[in-house]
Amino acid sequence: MPIDLLTPSGVTLALLPAVLLTVWSMVVLLVVAWRHGSEEDSRLAGWLSVVGVIGAAAATLWLWQSGAKSTGQPHMVYLDAYRFVSELLILFIAGATCLLSLRFLGKQRLLAPEYYVLVLFAAIGMQLMVAAADFILLFIGLEIMSISVYVLAGFDRFRRSSAEAALKYFLVGAFASAFLLYGIALVYGATGQTNYVLIGAQFAGSDTSLLARMGLALLLVGFGFKAAAVPFHMWAPDVYDGAPTPITGFMATAVKTAAFVALVRVLADAFPAFTGLWQPIVAVLAVASMIVGNVVALAQGSLKRMLAYSSIAHAGYLLVGVWTATDLGRAAVLLYLIAYSITSLAAFGIITAVERVGSRTVMLEDVEGFFRVRPWGALSMGVCLLSLLGFPGTFGFIGKWYLMSAAIDRNQLLLAVVMGIGSLLSLGYYLPVVMAMTMKPERTPDAHRQVLFSRAAKAIVAAAVITNLLFGVWPRKVVDLARSAASQMSAPTAPRPAGDR
Amino acid sequence: MRPFLDSIGYAHWILSVLLLLPMAGVVLVLLAPERWARWLTLIVAIAEFVLALGLWWAFDPDSGGMQFAFTMTWLPELGISYRIGLDGLSLFMILLATAMMPLLVWGSWFAIDQKVRGYYALLLALKTGMIGVFISLDLFLFYCFWELLLIPMYFLIGTWGSTNRLYAATKFVVYTFAGSILMLVAIITMVTIVARGTGETSFAYDHLVRHSDLLAPYAPWLFSAFALAFAVKVPIFPFHTWLPDAHVEAPTAGSVDLAVILLKMGTYGFLRFAIPFFPAFALSRPVAAVFVALAVIGIVYAALVSMVQPDLKKLIAYSSVSHLGFVMLGIWGGTVASVQGAIIVMIAHGISTGALFFLVGMLYERRHTRLLADYGGLARVTPRLAAAFVITAFASIGLPGLNGFVGEFLVLIGSFGRFPIAVGIATTVVVFSAAYLLVAVQRVFFNPITHPENQDLKDATPRELAVLVPLIVAMVWMGLYPQPILRRTEAAAKRYVETVRPFLPARAPADVGAR
Repeated sequence: MPIDLLTPSGVTLALLPAVLLTVWSMVVLLVVAWRHGSEEDSRLAGWLSVVGVIGAAAATLWLWQSGAKSTGQPHMVYLDAYRFVSELLILFIAGATCLLSLRFLGKQRLLAPEYYVLVLFAAIGMQLMVAAADFILLFIGLEIMSISVYVLAGFDRFRRSSAEAALKYFLVGAFASAFLLYGIALVYGATGQTNYVLIGAQFAGSDTSLLARMGLALLLVGFGFKAAAVPFHMWAPDVYDGAPTPITGFMATAVKTAAFVALVRVLADAFPAFTGLWQPIVAVLAVASMIVGNVVALAQGSLKRMLAYSSIAHAGYLLVGVWTATDLGRAAVLLYLIAYSITSLAAFGIITAVERVGSRTVMLEDVEGFFRVRPWGALSMGVCLLSLLGFPGTFGFIGKWYLMSAAIDRNQLLLAVVMGIGSLLSLGYYLPVVMAMTMKPERTPDAHRQVLFSRAAKAIVAAAVITNLLFGVWPRKVVDLARSAASQMSAPTAPRPAGDR
Repeated sequence: MRPFLDSIGYAHWILSVLLLLPMAGVVLVLLAPERWARWLTLIVAIAEFVLALGLWWAFDPDSGGMQFAFTMTWLPELGISYRIGLDGLSLFMILLATAMMPLLVWGSWFAIDQKVRGYYALLLALKTGMIGVFISLDLFLFYCFWELLLIPMYFLIGTWGSTNRLYAATKFVVYTFAGSILMLVAIITMVTIVARGTGETSFAYDHLVRHSDLLAPYAPWLFSAFALAFAVKVPIFPFHTWLPDAHVEAPTAGSVDLAVILLKMGTYGFLRFAIPFFPAFALSRPVAAVFVALAVIGIVYAALVSMVQPDLKKLIAYSSVSHLGFVMLGIWGGTVASVQGAIIVMIAHGISTGALFFLVGMLYERRHTRLLADYGGLARVTPRLAAAFVITAFASIGLPGLNGFVGEFLVLIGSFGRFPIAVGIATTVVVFSAAYLLVAVQRVFFNPITHPENQDLKDATPRELAVLVPLIVAMVWMGLYPQPILRRTEAAAKRYVETVRPFLPARAPADVGAR
């Protein structure tokens, strides 16, 4: 189905999933304006949001399956498999976050149903980010997402740490947005364009101007903040620790997915001529993230904080894929985003269930003896941790192995070896959790009485864990999907720099 | 026997069935009521052993290639397949692993009285991993099984081990994972290099060995990564410190499985992968000198450390390090005799050290101590256990007529041409191993009874005899008539030697062992 993206109706059709979700979130907002008192109302809003997400996902699938292709000139949005897959992933995460929050909000007395609307708004921003082929749309998407997530991070009004998280995230995030905007402005100044492909075409063959180089550097800083890569990671631990747990999971997975997909797009389409310039920067960010994230995670007692630092390390692994600037690398980034998101989501789902009423966070001691009381929950958590570690038989291993292959394919052994060392370091903090759950006795006889696993949360965690194992053993379908998505990316692939064997 | 096996198509399905049966057993044990767990495991174990026994007859001893091969595509675009097969080297590892299984169940029958279901499920899962490692002919598959083994072993040590179990379990996993993570990088690098040279991306073992000449320029790094993974597992001298901890803290069955199979995975890795992939580098003089020197240091050092151990289990754990030094020596010896000797030592060490760990476990169940000082004079109280222990100790020492002698003798004569000094040192160490084991036997069984608790210990029960007798029969049989085993390993050893011979330094480096 050809879509002419120069007409308003064409753009609307191409952004149909985001448009639908916007309309629906307005409806939910209206509903909660009248019904916002009881836990029942909150749950109603949650279920309505899930319905909206499913609708948007159906629209995405329809666009994808109908073979939507853009015609004519470069345009505002992409219509390719890379976008559709990442969009579906984001919608899945948003829906799962709503389901994981259903009972959690009641348990923690956070009965304000606007929560779900904000999750939907954030998802809309992310949809725009992964679809954007133009810096303006990217920035709009980024802001919609960021502002919604700032509010969500501070949603627990009764806790100081949550307010602190929101404020920190807001200040640092605003700073990052400014960097990004400044970068966009400089690039615009150098080229007179905001479209990625047109910018790329302007740069091709010409000398790289200082203006453009500065623009690229500022863009990388902005993306580094959003993706929480070292040295732009300082905000992440406090924010992840302070935010309500389902939101922490949402930030660690969906925000990361949106940021990385946009980063891959921008670098591949707008800056292929600068590959020699940005590759060393990305490599340094990757190595720093892998080492710092993993080493600092070793010292954490709080599970949420530990996972926050580990997510910094995972950003480092993903940056290795970004570094390659090849189809294989872009496929690996997509594959790893899917693997990492599914796994992290389930892990945060379990932590959400374990979290005690009014407790600040979940400590390592809090899960001691968890296996005896909740064997399936502990097993699922174990699978998630092994997958994050990159253990064979799990989806995480396939993702990590693919990223390593992509790096080695570009003769970059150093990054692959650092990835290996990073995995080894991460053993040091994932293993104690497994040990605490299975081999240590409970601290107190009623240690796990407050564990609240709603049926919806159970279903999400079970689905994620089963998918994880299934793709770990039989990854053919999803690997093919990532490969074909990366090879169909509309723009020409980055030229390989000289000296490539 | 052959016609019957052919008539049921044995060769086509046997390896996959051996791999899947324990996995099915895991599910069965987890779903069934807890009191059935050990019976179900026993049934699966016996079925597995009976099925595996057919390999003894179905195996064609004259062929050095892979037999019972089976291939199924898994990720064709990436060159990954489910490729399995078996040769004379892996045949005995499989037979050993499956034969040990029923004994392990009998051995843990009463010793494990809590979380029974999880214990037997893990024991079965461990078995799947072991069999997978030895039959994988695809490096991706091999790596998966290699790592998957860690999980059941981790939980076996950490949950059912003795006092210091959490430390030992963590140390075991960290060491092994640290060793093998770089192997993953090396595997991917190898495949990428070979794919560039040949245009075919494939993780198949045969494909990579055939094009090993393409790997030669990168051999130092790649070989080091493989060697590190295998050296930790063997374990070679400076990487051995996880072993005593893991052995001492593990429950009896865990110790036995570690000694019988897991340690052999390291030497198997050298024989199957590390050396055939990079023969020129691995067998070059400096590298050979390092490994032979480490092997000899391991033999001597571990024997000396064993002599001063107050803990019986630790003593046997260190003796393993010493024995596996002989295997390493034989592998680098590079003659048919030395390689066959290495394989025989692997089998013999499995049987006799396995038996020793079983015996220590039985003593522990009676007295709840492993310290030599707490025993004494048990020969009068428990004559059957004493007899079994003495025979096993003699087998482990390498007394002619028992299984330990055959392999060590072959290793020594086979390696003498290349490493005379190393062989000279290793030969004298046999005296040490006699010293530490005989002293241990004396202190446990023959000194006067000094502890009144030892007065009325129970002698071996029929269940315990069912564990020990088959092992002792195997020791005697292998010692007196090793011919059938030698015949079945000969072709594989020859093939290995033919692969490496062109790369052996032309003149025998007479002083290599002394460096």
